[in-house]
Amino acid sequence: MVDIIDTVAIAEGASLVFSSFEPWLVVIPGIILGLIFGAIPGLQISMAMAIFLPATLYMDFLEAMLFLTAIFTGGSFGSGIPAILMNIPGTSSAIATAFDGYPMAKKGEHNKALGVALGASCFGVLFGYMILFLLIKPISGFVLKLGPSEMFMVILWGMTLIASLRGDSMAKGLLSGFIGLLIGTIGFSGAGVARGTMGNEYLLDGVPVIPAMMGMFAASELFKLINTNYLVEDQDARKVSVKEILSGFKHAFSHPWVMLRGSIIGVFVGAVPGVGSSVSNLLSYIETKRRDKDPESFGKGNPKGVVAAESANSTSEAGSMATLLALGIPGGGATAVMLAAFAMHNITGGPQFIREETDIVYAIIIANFGQVLILMVLGLLFIPLLANIVKVPMNYLVPSVLAMATFGSFGLTGNISGPVTVLVFSCVGWVFSRLNYSIPATVIGILLGSMAEDALLQTYQISGGQLSYLFDRPMTMVILAMLLISLFGSKVTAMLTNKAKDSANA
Amino acid sequence: MKIITPKAADLFVVFFLASFTLWYGISSWQVSDSAENLILILPVGIIALVLCSIEIINQLLGRSHPIESGQPVKQVLPVMSLFTAYVLSLEWLGFDIATTLFIAAFLLMQGERRWVWVIGYSICFGMFMSYFFAQMLPYPMPMSIFPTDY
Repeated sequence: MVDIIDTVAIAEGASLVFSSFEPWLVVIPGIILGLIFGAIPGLQISMAMAIFLPATLYMDFLEAMLFLTAIFTGGSFGSGIPAILMNIPGTSSAIATAFDGYPMAKKGEHNKALGVALGASCFGVLFGYMILFLLIKPISGFVLKLGPSEMFMVILWGMTLIASLRGDSMAKGLLSGFIGLLIGTIGFSGAGVARGTMGNEYLLDGVPVIPAMMGMFAASELFKLINTNYLVEDQDARKVSVKEILSGFKHAFSHPWVMLRGSIIGVFVGAVPGVGSSVSNLLSYIETKRRDKDPESFGKGNPKGVVAAESANSTSEAGSMATLLALGIPGGGATAVMLAAFAMHNITGGPQFIREETDIVYAIIIANFGQVLILMVLGLLFIPLLANIVKVPMNYLVPSVLAMATFGSFGLTGNISGPVTVLVFSCVGWVFSRLNYSIPATVIGILLGSMAEDALLQTYQISGGQLSYLFDRPMTMVILAMLLISLFGSKVTAMLTNKAKDSANA
Repeated sequence: MKIITPKAADLFVVFFLASFTLWYGISSWQVSDSAENLILILPVGIIALVLCSIEIINQLLGRSHPIESGQPVKQVLPVMSLFTAYVLSLEWLGFDIATTLFIAAFLLMQGERRWVWVIGYSICFGMFMSYFFAQMLPYPMPMSIFPTDY
């Protein structure tokens, strides 16, 4: 334990954070910026961090990191707000939040859903940094052991699980996911050739993922809401109630095991570079649904779905910070901006950084405990303002959100390919949802397609094409076993139980 | 009158997905048949085609699942067309004018007849959003009224 936790460094870190009020001055604006950028569809956490990165030049390194992690923390929760109120996940890590958050909002439980999301997020951030505090060195060791074969298996696990969510037609669910994977590989391949671009130069870098996600999730859903008067039909249910938000906040803690499971999945899967937060919220959701007594209630407004998704995606922040601090590897856009902040302050992340600047590492972690309290207060102030969306008539809300998605998609690509992608995928999404295909599986496929291809290619190159290589990778086999259990476990158990019953009856 | 029956639509989409998979697989093969190029596309394409076949058999045998209820197609198509016109006119009209017109047209299409609201909301929303994003984004956006380097 002595090896794992450096008490002297902790004391020094705490003194850096608490000896003056200055580091905290940047936290409040950071969280507010994160909440705003997370809550506006199309604006990304990484975009907020990149825009305000130059401001960190005038801060010392610790303040800069606190400012950026505050944006990260605020944004992680903020992206769940449009997922709940408009069915638009602000980022891929909030996809599962929309599954039950949006149905809750439609039932008039928007206050509760937002409160539940805030409660689970606060717990997630706190738990994640607590784990980071205790286990930063073992986590970094764990991440170093993950190779491309494990990355590929995690991607496949996430995608097939989400595809299997479409309980009534697994073939359609899996087909959606595999078509998504194919779309995700459009553009330049690792071999340096362009595929499926039809001569369109905008497609050389592939299909813009987030605009595709916005089109599939949001626009297709908005088309379905045409001619409805309000998001919440019942006028009495349309009110904004701080009391209900608070009760939702407390409600999140009435499912401690769901939160704990989500957080554990979040911190470890979240540490996997690139795929972490996108997959962790889905895994947590699916595990919660699978283990619940009433799995049929999921997708129809079960608060446990929101708890599972939000606790996992908030904890993923700590997981990705572990890989950034301990290995110097950014897990996604947000941590890539943080790496740029490292460079601006002439600091290199990695084992040497952990060894030599342990006090700074602990200061960042300790400050994030404080950020949870600030997020809680600011979240409770901010949510009632946003919850008023349910009072906006749909004939005003639908074109406004469509236009916002269009602006946001232009912001993501910097050219007209973003809005055109939203348009194309909104039509595809509408057709898919009418015909019972799985939209989340397609989105995950598009999101992870090129990453899956790279991981598979690297595995092929390392193994020299030998399948036996996989059997020498215990972690790969464990993930593969978990994938098979998650997919077929319940069916095999049901089959065995039926057989046992039959033989008992005979 | 229905333009196309739900069963036919379902079948058409599966055929479309199978055709896309075949076209993408063949065109990828044609640009390069190296393992690096086809390592994911080939197996995933084959699985997708198998799944398409299963789905076609399911549908022909009547084991297909019902279509989710939603807005009638004839109500959605005009909105989709309006959204298409909006997106395709962005580079020509600029975000400021195109967004204002899109919002106004949508409100009128959905039965809003209070002209003050139609004009007031569409102008305020279109102009505010255009100005906000033009200030926030690091690259120029197509505009007609606001200055731009696009």
